[in-house]
This record gives sequence, C-alpha cells and structure tokens, in this order.
Amino acid sequence: MPPRKKNDLSIKMADDDAKRRAGKRRAKPNQRARGRKAKQSEEEEDEEEEEDETPRRKVRSKKAKPQDSEDEEEEKGVKRKGTNAVGRKKKAAKEESEEESEEEVRGKKKKGGKVTSKDQKEEHNHEKKGTSKGKGGKDKGNDKHKDKDESPDEDDSEEEDSLSEGEMAALKEEVEEKKKMIATLRNKPWRLKRRLQNLKECQAFVEKFEGALGKGKGRKLYAYKVMMAKKMIKFHRDFDNFKTACIPWERKIKEVESHFGSSVASYFLFLRWMFGLNMVLFGFMFGLVVLPEVMMGLPYGSIPRKVVPTADQSTAMDYSVLLDFGGYFQYSVLFYGYYNDARTIGVFKFRLPLSYLLVGVGIFGYSLMVVIRMMARNSNEGGDGGDEGQFTFSFKMFTSWDYLIGNPETADNKFASVTTSFKESIVDEQENQKDENIHLRRFLRVLANFLILCCLGGSGFLIYYVVKQSQENAKKDENTLTWFEQNEVDVVMSLLGLVCPPLFETIAELEEYHPRDALKWQLGRIFALFLGNLYTFLFALFDEVNAKLEEEKAIKNATLWNRNEYYANYSSFYNTTDVPPLEIAPSDVTRGPCWETSVGVAFMKLTVNDIEVTYITILIGDFFRAVIVRFLNYCWCWDLEAGFPSYGEFDISGNVLGLIFNQGMIWMGAFFSPGLVGLNILRLISSMYFQCWAVMATNVPHERVFKASKSNNFYMGLLLMVLFLSLLPVIYIIMTMPPSFDCGPFSGREKMYDVIMETLAELPTFIGNIVGYATNPGLILSAVLLMVLAIYYLNVTSKNYENANLELRKKMQMARDEEKNRRNNKETTNQSQQYLEDLMPNRSLIPPPVVEEPPPGGRLDRPGDRLQGRGGAEGGADLPLDAK
Amino acid sequence: MGSRASTLLREEEIEEMKKETGFSHSQITRLYSRFTSLDKGENGTLSREDFQRIPELAINPLGDRIINAFFPEGEDQVNFRGFMRTLAHFRPIEDNEKNKDPTVSEPLNSRTNKLLFAFRLYDLDRDDKISRDELLQVLRMMVGVNISDEQLGSIADRTIQEADQNGDNSISFNEFIKVLEKVDVEQKMSIRFLH
Repeated sequence: MPPRKKNDLSIKMADDDAKRRAGKRRAKPNQRARGRKAKQSEEEEDEEEEEDETPRRKVRSKKAKPQDSEDEEEEKGVKRKGTNAVGRKKKAAKEESEEESEEEVRGKKKKGGKVTSKDQKEEHNHEKKGTSKGKGGKDKGNDKHKDKDESPDEDDSEEEDSLSEGEMAALKEEVEEKKKMIATLRNKPWRLKRRLQNLKECQAFVEKFEGALGKGKGRKLYAYKVMMAKKMIKFHRDFDNFKTACIPWERKIKEVESHFGSSVASYFLFLRWMFGLNMVLFGFMFGLVVLPEVMMGLPYGSIPRKVVPTADQSTAMDYSVLLDFGGYFQYSVLFYGYYNDARTIGVFKFRLPLSYLLVGVGIFGYSLMVVIRMMARNSNEGGDGGDEGQFTFSFKMFTSWDYLIGNPETADNKFASVTTSFKESIVDEQENQKDENIHLRRFLRVLANFLILCCLGGSGFLIYYVVKQSQENAKKDENTLTWFEQNEVDVVMSLLGLVCPPLFETIAELEEYHPRDALKWQLGRIFALFLGNLYTFLFALFDEVNAKLEEEKAIKNATLWNRNEYYANYSSFYNTTDVPPLEIAPSDVTRGPCWETSVGVAFMKLTVNDIEVTYITILIGDFFRAVIVRFLNYCWCWDLEAGFPSYGEFDISGNVLGLIFNQGMIWMGAFFSPGLVGLNILRLISSMYFQCWAVMATNVPHERVFKASKSNNFYMGLLLMVLFLSLLPVIYIIMTMPPSFDCGPFSGREKMYDVIMETLAELPTFIGNIVGYATNPGLILSAVLLMVLAIYYLNVTSKNYENANLELRKKMQMARDEEKNRRNNKETTNQSQQYLEDLMPNRSLIPPPVVEEPPPGGRLDRPGDRLQGRGGAEGGADLPLDAK
Repeated sequence: MGSRASTLLREEEIEEMKKETGFSHSQITRLYSRFTSLDKGENGTLSREDFQRIPELAINPLGDRIINAFFPEGEDQVNFRGFMRTLAHFRPIEDNEKNKDPTVSEPLNSRTNKLLFAFRLYDLDRDDKISRDELLQVLRMMVGVNISDEQLGSIADRTIQEADQNGDNSISFNEFIKVLEKVDVEQKMSIRFLH
C-alpha cells in the first residue's frame, strides 16, 4: 500500500479503529461511526438513534466470523502498540487499509450474490433478525473486556464505553419495562384484542433482547439457539431448492409453455401427471405381485404353466414370435398364466393369489381416488381466481418481466412467454368484445351439432354393422373369406379415426367458439367416436374369450378322461391300487388355451401398436413435413412455409385422447398382464422426451394461442369416464368368468374371488361372522341409501355456497363500479364550486377538466355514459373467469 | 483498489450517504467498489455505456428505462451519490423501519418511493402520467415485432381502461398505486445488498 495523505480526523479514526478491533471484533464500522458522532455532537444519543443503530450493527455480523483469524493477528499488533505510539498509529492505518482491501476482494467475490431471488431476500430478513440478537450480547461482553484492556487514550474509550453502556442500559430498561408490562397487562383496561396484541409484542421483544443481555450460560444457549435457527432456515431453503429440482421435466415443460402457450403445456402437464400415477401403479404391481413371484415362486420350467410347450420351443426365441409376445414372453411373469395357484409361497407364506386379486382391484381403487381427488382440488383452484380479472392487462404490463434474468437464453424464453401471454389475453379479449348476431350464431351452432350427431350416429351404425358382419364371417371357413372380409373391422375403424376428427374440426368452425371451448367440444366428440372403437374391441375380445372357454372345457374334460383312463388301465394292467403318478415332462403336458394370458397378450400388442403408430405419425406427419417445408422452400413455386403445407400445429385433442385411451387399455389389461404397467412407464417416459423434442423442433404455435383453463378438469373428467368404462369389464370378469383350470393364480377355483373366501375361512370365525353380516343385503341396501342421502345433502350445500359466492362476487363488482362512479362524479357534482375556482386566475397548474361548454345536464350525463360503457366491457371481461 | 475505495470515499461523505440512503458503512464501501469496477472511464462517474455492460440490464427490454432512472434530467453522467440514491430504492424495508413515526420524512425505500420508481420507468416524459403512447412504447420493447400495432394499441387501451379512474385516459401515480395494491412491492422491489 502506498502511503497516503490523511487528514487528522481520519488518522484518529483509524486509531480508534485499531483499538476497537483489538478489543472487540464485531460491529466495527458502526462503532467507529458512533465514536465520531459522539465527538462531533457530544453524546446526544436518544432512543431514536439507538433504534437506528441496531439494524446497522446486525449488518456486520455476517462477515464477522470468517474474520476471526485476521482479528487475532491484529490483536498481536495491538499488544505491541503500547511501546510506540507513533508506530502504532501508522500500523493501525496500514491495518485498516489492508482490511479495506480484503473487504473489497470479498465484495468482488460476492458481487454475483446481488442477483438474488425473492425468497432469498425474505429469508435474509429473517436471518438478520436472528443475528441482531446474538450481536447485542457479544458487544456487551467485548465492551467489558475492553474496559480492562485499554488504559491509554482514555477519553476515547471512555466515551465509547459510556455510549454503549448507555445503550445497554436503555435496552435493559426497555426490557424491564416490557416485562413489567407483561406482568401488569391483566389489569389494563383495554380490549382483549389489544391486550393480546400488546402481549405478543412485548413477549417477542423480551425474547429478542433478554437473551442478548444475559450472561454466561444464558447467552451461550441463546447463541446456540440463534445458530440453530439460522441453520434451519438454510436447510429449509436448500430443501425447497431440492424439491423444485426434483420435479421431473419442469424445465422442458416450461420451455414448451413459453413458446407454445399454456394450452400445449397443459398436455405435457397431463402427461407428467399420468406418469406419476403410473409409477404408483407400477409400484403396487411390481412390489406385490411380480417381485414375490420371481423371488419366492417356483422357478421357470418346474411346472407346465411355467414352461414353453414342446411344440413351440423351436420358435420360442424367434424375433417375430417375441414381437407378438409369444414364445418365452408368453410364459413369463409378464402374463397372468405364469403365476402359480399355491395358496402361499416362500418362507414368508406370502399369499400370492390373494395379493394378485387385491392389487388388480386396488389399482382401480387407487386410480379412482386419485382422479377424483385431483378433480376436487382443481375445481377449488379454479374458483378463487376472482379478483385477477380486474387488472389483467395492467398486471401483464407492469409486472411480467423478471428483472433478475441474466442469462440470454432465459431471456429469450421469457420474451416468448410474455408475448404468448399477451396473445392469449388478446384472444380472450376478442371473444368478449365480439358483438355478434346472436340468432345466426345460435342457428349455426345447432346446425353444427346436428351435423356432428349425424356423423356420430352414422359411424356408430357402421361399426355396429361391421361387427355383426364380422361375427357372421367368423363362423364361416377362413379360407373362403377375402382379405377385406377378414379385416373389415380394423379397416373401418381406422378409416373412421382418420376421417372424422378433421371433419369435426371443419364443422366446428361454424360454431366460432372460443378456442378453449372449441377444444373441449372437439375432445368430447372424438371421445364419443373412440367409444365405438372401444366397443368393437371389447366385443371381439369377449367373443374370443368365449371361444377359448369352450375349447378349454373340452381340453379339461379330455385331460381328466385321459388321466382316469391311465389310472384305470394301470391298475387293471398291474392289478394294483398303488398307481405311480404319471411321468410327463412339464413342457409336454396337454394344457388349456389359458384365455387370460391371451387377453393380456392382446392388450400388450395393442399398446405396442399404439406406441408405434403414435411415433410414426409424429415422425412422418410432423418431422418429415417440417423437413420438406423447410428445405424444399428454397426451390419451390410458392412459399411453402406461409402457404399450403406449412408446419404442423401441435394436435392437443388427438394427443390428449390418445393418452387417455391408452391409459384405459392399461387399466383393463393390467389384471391380465402385470408387465403392461411397466411397459406403459417406458412409453410415457419416451413419449415425454420424444414429443417435447418434436414440438420444439417441428411444430409452430397455434394461430390463436389461447390460455388453457387453469384446471385440467375436462381432461380429468374424460379420464374418469374411461376409467369407469375399463373398470366394468374387468370387474365383470372377476365376478362371473371361471378362471382357466391350469394356469394363473386362481386356477382350480370356481370363480376368481373365491380366493377371498378361502382366506376368510382361515381367519378366526368371528371375523367371518362380521363379514357375513356386512354382506347382508339389508345392511348393504341401507348403506347405499345413506350414501345417496349424503350425496344429495352435500350437493345441495355446495350449490348454496356457489350461489353465495356468485352473489358476493357481484357485490364486489358493484362496489368497485360504485367507487369509480363516485370518483368520476366528484369533478362534476360540485360544479358551482368548480366554476368559482375556474374564475380565479392561476388557481392551479392542473388544467381544468376537459368538459366545459355543454350545459350542466349534458355534462352530468357524459362521464356516466362513458362509465357505463366501461362497466359493461368489464363485466364482459369477467365472463371468461366465470367460464373457467 | 481497496486503497482507492477508501481514499476517494471520504468519511463525511459516507456519513451523509448513510443518513440519506440508510445503507450501512460496509454496504456503501462495497457498493463503491462495485461502482469503480463498473466505471471503465475511471473518472468517478458512470455513463450509460457503463450500465449497458451489465448483462441483466442489457437483455432487459426495459433496461434502457432503468438505466435512465439513474441519470438526473438532462445529464449523461452519474456520480456515486446519485448511484447510491437510486439504489436506495431497492434496499429492503427492515422490520424496525416499518413502524417509525410518520413525522420523519419517508426513506427512499418506502413502498411509495419504490412504486414511484417503477412508475417513472413507464412515464417516459416525466409528466406524472402514463399516457397511451408511453404504454405503447414500453409494450413494443417488451414484445418486439411479434404482435401487430393494432393489437398492441388495444392492449394499451385496455390497460388504461382498467387502471384509469378519473377518465383522463392516462394512468396517474395514484391509479398506478391502486393497480399494484395487491402486489408485494416491498418484497419484489428489494435487492439483498451484501453487508
């Protein structure tokens, strides 16, 4: 450091400083400041200033700790000081500068820290509170220490001491006062509320400063408490960060949202939610069924159901067979047939068949619960967006930019999202301000609905007809049928799926709904169409199952007959009753068709098919189209990008419905193929990455970007419906169909649910009795009645609340309008006074109100008119909120 | 650097600044070092170009407006005092400042002053009113060329319509306060300065 010029004062200051640092380490600048202040203004320290001082003192504490070593050095320096006063001064000055430079370095390091997030700020405030408490105590101790230490320059230190002493005394006094207040609060003639408030304040104050003032043990405890509080806060912050980081795909979705708007993002959010649900289902399935079977069940090849039949063994590893889930796949844990019917397995006596049934049903129970809970939560959230409607645009205008963004890429995203959100609001706004020919619109909407109903009816009939036809065809010999006759149903279904959605979309343009509502209608209509798909599929499935059942019966009889024959022949041939069991390799045993496994295979194939079709559609329909449009555009007659093919838009309705129906397949198939849930997890993950990439790389935002409704309840509603529809066949099968006699966990039982009966029989009798009573029709009927009544009652109450809500909202709106009215009319109502004021020259710099000439009556009306118009517009603006 | 920071910054000045802005001594020295590091011309003042070098301001659509807020009317240099005065708006409000008696003049970081700062960002011509044109300019900065003029116009109209209460087709400071009534300005317009 170069020697510097310093005036007297600053040298003295430095001197002071050095001493102070020697004695007490913390709170340097404040003390320094205070010392000087004292010199200048002769100890005029009132309480006000003290109040000021405290926060500033807090300020040092953060840095104080890492400085310790440095301080120690300084202390040594100070010890030497006593001998040489002049040298000491110089040294002190030097030290100060050194420290200054260090501070600077530290400051530089922390510069980045300025860019902090909001919550950090908040957190920091807390922190400061905490440290301030600790501070007081340390200061005090240090002061005492200094008292003994310092003999030279008495005047300085004395001033200082008295200052801090005075401060301490004042603080103590205050604490005492507060304590007294707490003690006597009971006698104060105040209202309870005020008393409580006072009490709380006092207690907080005492808590804050008493620990700081205390000595010895109390202080240590206090310091410890403060430290722990700080640690806790830090931990909480870290934990929050961690939680945010743990949300999967958050960044991806945000990126998509900022470019394509909330409507496209809503699909991805739905996809992610679905993934979460499926993870839980997978956990159930894997943990309670697959894993126990693999760990504790009989190994592959031990019994007939666990081995590939000899006839198929040559092709069991063929790729084409495996692709169809035949061969080794078919006889693996992936499917129902592999599981053994032993009542318990392994050392833990795990009841696998029971667990299988409960998980199969539990999957439905859990899904229902989750979907319904989600719907309830969503509708809650949707409800309280009430007052955002007031200043939509103002908020967007004044508060949309995030001032802490420092990364260009983030800034780009933010730009995009600000623009998108403006666009969304514009669309909402246009919808509200559209003044329309209501009769024409109504007519068009009715017409559109009529047309679509015709389409749906037509396709419904077509499906029905085709299915019937195919059933008849199935009875004929397969060789006489043409290819078309064999695949009639599939062809018709895919044709319908190809033609109808665009047709609906075209018809929907007649209706001119808000895009958000249009999407809902479109979803509903395609959903109805897909139901036909489901219907045909189930139909085919049940036909197959019935055929298999017949076949099975025949085989079962044949096997039994064979065995009886064997026993009879053996005993008559060797003339003995001690017949050894038949020695056949497990793979050679004749076995039934096991219809459950074939149903599982059908669902598996369907899912894989669906995945393939979806991905190929994206690849061709979006990716290749985008490539062609992008690169052929250089050498084409017209502008491909702006003109005909253009880039694809993201098909929200198609994707959402695809997801929903796929999930329906999973729900239905999971019972017959435990591996299906795992496959679905893979599908969801891959489709998340693939579709995110596809949408960012190849699609363009919708022409009218619209804001998705806050609640995904429409999606959820569709999902619930599909869930219910897929629940029906499975429950029906469990309750009525006889399980295969030689495969699966329920083999050998009359019905699948007999497993439960068996378990009950093993339990103590009184439980069986209780269950017997609970299943009594009388009890069940009354329970159902009770539930119906409860539903009715809750429904009525919720309606009432809704009405009250609406009423309140209306009132608020009215109050707001009234206030506006009042303000506006102020200028005009006391006109006479205004005229008087106008007469006076240079009354004020504000220009007089714009309206001047027209007669008083007209003048009164005008702002009112304007207001009314505005009120109307705003009333309209609130509408979409309600619609949400 | 450190020696410069302390030589150029006299104690009296620091004292005055402490009183004026409420920053602590160490905050002031720290900010001073920041100030000098921004000051590429090394003449004790900052120019607009100096501010432009801060990435957060460079990519902010309203960056120019924020930078403008640092400069007094008609000047294109700002010294450390002015720099601190502007930054003081962003000092967090501390607990014991909230219930001070109202006779003392309001500190720079009060809610009203914070809001006034924000208001000035939009009030380009400093006539204490945000007019439609001013809104349009700001909007243009925020969305670029992605939205047509006509639509931007309607956004500006709607914004004014929402906020305007006395029917003068512009947003006064009081109306601005009213709009942001529910926003936690004390929180959002605070920067955690290091101590």
